[in-house]
Amino acid sequence: MKETLEAINQMQADGIIGKYAIGGAVGATFYLEPASTLDVDIFVTLPTVPGGLLLSLSPIYEYLKTKGGRLEDEHIVIGGWPLQFLPANNDLEREALAEAVPANVEDVETWVMTAEHLAAIALRTGRPKDHNRILQFIEQRAMDPKKLQLIVARHNLNSKWEQFERKFLEGKHG
Amino acid sequence: MAKSKMRERLASLSFSEKVKILEKLRDRSRTIEASGLRPKATLGAPKKGN
Repeated sequence: MKETLEAINQMQADGIIGKYAIGGAVGATFYLEPASTLDVDIFVTLPTVPGGLLLSLSPIYEYLKTKGGRLEDEHIVIGGWPLQFLPANNDLEREALAEAVPANVEDVETWVMTAEHLAAIALRTGRPKDHNRILQFIEQRAMDPKKLQLIVARHNLNSKWEQFERKFLEGKHG
Repeated sequence: MAKSKMRERLASLSFSEKVKILEKLRDRSRTIEASGLRPKATLGAPKKGN
């Protein structure tokens, strides 16, 4: 992971990407016990270009190929980890990037989304493994429920939260 | 050790230590896949439920 993060940091320093943060299962591992995953989700902002043209992830892949990266489906493998770059293209993801917290892996500085933003993104994505992750955050008291509720309300996820609550949490409080 | 205690202990490790465990889990998954005991996991499944 050290080599992976060093490559991403260098790419940021070289202006290929703006701010970035680790999300997904690897991001959740910052707060929870490690859970098996095969790839790393990297949420990024891309530098804006004059005229507001549609931005592409191609420069990221082209850059990392010059650093020894190998394409594998929609991932690029660096340092043994397949990376999936996800442009932060909605308010929730942009906020998650803006509020990401610094982390350190083997003396390499990096950024990880807050537990509450990871949970909110998982809520919106809504696959069984995403719901499982939210339950882990709750059961392990790894996030602030009040902060999550503010994010849920701010990003119009109330109905998704109510569905989640009905399905997984009813009868568990008391 | 009770499962909940084990999870707490694992969660309290440093991120670097957790990442080392992630790498072991990843390598184990790849070994199992390569042996044919489990179908290859699909990378790149949809991750955004916008």
